[in-house]
Amino acid sequence: MTDQTAGSLLSAPARRQRSVDWSAALLNGYLLFFFAWMFLPLILMVLAAFNANPTPSATDWQGFTLQWFEKLPRDERFMQGLFHSLLIAAGVIVTAIPMGLAGALILSRLQSRANTLLYTLLVSPVLTPGIVLGATTMIFWRDLFGVEAGLFTTVMAQAAFIAAYCMLMFMARLQRQDHVLEEAALDLGASPFFVFRRVTLPFLMPTILTAAFISFLQSIENYNTTFFAIGGSWTLVTEIGSRMRFGLSPMINAIGVIFIAITVVVAVTHTIMTRKRA
Amino acid sequence: MGALTRSFGKPLSFGFIALVAIWLFGLILLPQISMIQRAFQVEDRGGVSAQLSIDIDKLYVRKFDIEQQLKALEQPTAAQPQAPSPFAPSMGQAPAAPSPNDPFAGLSAKKAPAGDPAEIEAKRKALQAEQNAVSAKIADLEAQETGPAALDLRYSLENFTSMSAVHFQIFVATLFYALCVTVLAFLVCYPVAYAVATAGAGNRAAMLLLALVVPYAINELLRIFAWVMILERQGLFNSILNALGVIDFSAGEGFRFVSSNGAVFAVMVYAYVLFMVFPIYNTIETLDRNQIEAARDLGASTWRIHTRIVIPHAKPGIAVGAIMTFMLSAGSIAVPEIVGRGMHPDWFSQVIYRRFFEADSWNQGAAYSLALLVACMVFILAVMAVFKVGIRDIAK
Repeated sequence: MTDQTAGSLLSAPARRQRSVDWSAALLNGYLLFFFAWMFLPLILMVLAAFNANPTPSATDWQGFTLQWFEKLPRDERFMQGLFHSLLIAAGVIVTAIPMGLAGALILSRLQSRANTLLYTLLVSPVLTPGIVLGATTMIFWRDLFGVEAGLFTTVMAQAAFIAAYCMLMFMARLQRQDHVLEEAALDLGASPFFVFRRVTLPFLMPTILTAAFISFLQSIENYNTTFFAIGGSWTLVTEIGSRMRFGLSPMINAIGVIFIAITVVVAVTHTIMTRKRA
Repeated sequence: MGALTRSFGKPLSFGFIALVAIWLFGLILLPQISMIQRAFQVEDRGGVSAQLSIDIDKLYVRKFDIEQQLKALEQPTAAQPQAPSPFAPSMGQAPAAPSPNDPFAGLSAKKAPAGDPAEIEAKRKALQAEQNAVSAKIADLEAQETGPAALDLRYSLENFTSMSAVHFQIFVATLFYALCVTVLAFLVCYPVAYAVATAGAGNRAAMLLLALVVPYAINELLRIFAWVMILERQGLFNSILNALGVIDFSAGEGFRFVSSNGAVFAVMVYAYVLFMVFPIYNTIETLDRNQIEAARDLGASTWRIHTRIVIPHAKPGIAVGAIMTFMLSAGSIAVPEIVGRGMHPDWFSQVIYRRFFEADSWNQGAAYSLALLVACMVFILAVMAVFKVGIRDIAK
């Protein structure tokens, strides 16, 4: 009886160990396959940016060159598009962050069924297809104010959903807030404005910076919404898109390399910083 | 409301409320309402308004004709700076007025005689008078055309019911493909999300997460572009086939992978799969791993552990991932435009785009956008019902 129990107790972990190893190996193999699928196309794209071949290719090698990078600053439409993208991103940051912050603060104090309704309405742009957001904004501004689609309508369309992302970030931060400090300050006679400026805002500052950064990225990278709302103007990304439709150029690869380099640097820095903090 | 003013005081509270009101109405609700209004609005182009636009076209032709005649008259006599601008007929009334920048303009006009100047002058006067009359008529008719009187506006379901069979087919096909992309993306990414979420907290886990974040943060268009390079006629796949001797480049052979339906589908899975990975990863990460250990100790098979423990726990994440992937692929315009090159059957987003910008039929474009929006809402509600999750679980 005791022997049997001891035996089964011993054998169960042993059996488990084997099956775990087997499925773990399968999972690792699958992971390898998955990441190869994710990264190989990107690696090919990076390689082709340094290939002298005027049709972007990583296989038909015609010598190392930096000419596609050198051409970029001389390309007016790309540079103008970059400028438009930066303008729009700045506009989105200054509109989306105050709106998202106000939304989060109101929702954190509103204790009723209106809360859920308001929350649903405010996050709905995140769940709306980008082209619909772009189209509605375009129609609204033309029909009501006669404003034609352009940089301004793009800011409005992008801010609608980026503000929702900001709001979600602020809400997550506010949930961890201890109201003791605010209440103490109010009890000691500080004005609500003073408390907001000296207690609440400093507490939210890291999130404001993160939200600004995320908004910036979201705005610069956005294609679907911008495609509809931009009208006759263009941003860096819509310009890339329209060139891709007419054929490939290694200049797009060069832009890709710059984007990827920035992404990798930011992601790695962020990972290292969060790990140091942890 | 009371809680708000108590915490922030009246001025700040009103500021917050104003900001949210601008966002809610100015950026979300009113734009939606104006789209819905357009969707049910029909502009009658028949009858009066059509006749008006024909008349206007005719007048423009006449105006152009007069301008040509005037130019012909001017040609031998006038120097460049004072040729009457065809877009400013009033300038033509005083053709001899020298431009202040060019003191010799008047002089040169006098110096160039051609034929009988008096006759030409008379003819020109007559033409200019007619030109002015025509311009005035055009302005008048155009005002009528855009004015409220000529616009026969009605509200009806026509924009939806007049959706052609082709467009309706595209609509259904798009939703079906989007659904397939969603299911496939889930199958592809679930093991990845599970593996990364259960990798623990070591260096390996951090590396895996980084490997997911980097492609996620890289622009959608660039990732699509990378695939177009591979699928191109002279791209990687055809190069490999060439090297293997299956096809011969020098003989001009090569498969047109791009612009096929399969390519659009495959690139879409590639482009949107990561939107499925992260929500699922986030929920699996919160699962207490002791539960998995306990189930395994009790003899549960791997399949059973996943269907009874991991997947039920990951439900909200799966719901979010499914919604995002479906919404992105149903509304995708980048993938069909760039990979499809306009050669493969349309995606519904492209139909919407053409309604707006090529057919110049905003009302129908609005109706089609509304149809897409409603389809996505139905999908969201269905997912919420199936997975039994609320809106709070979804938007996180």
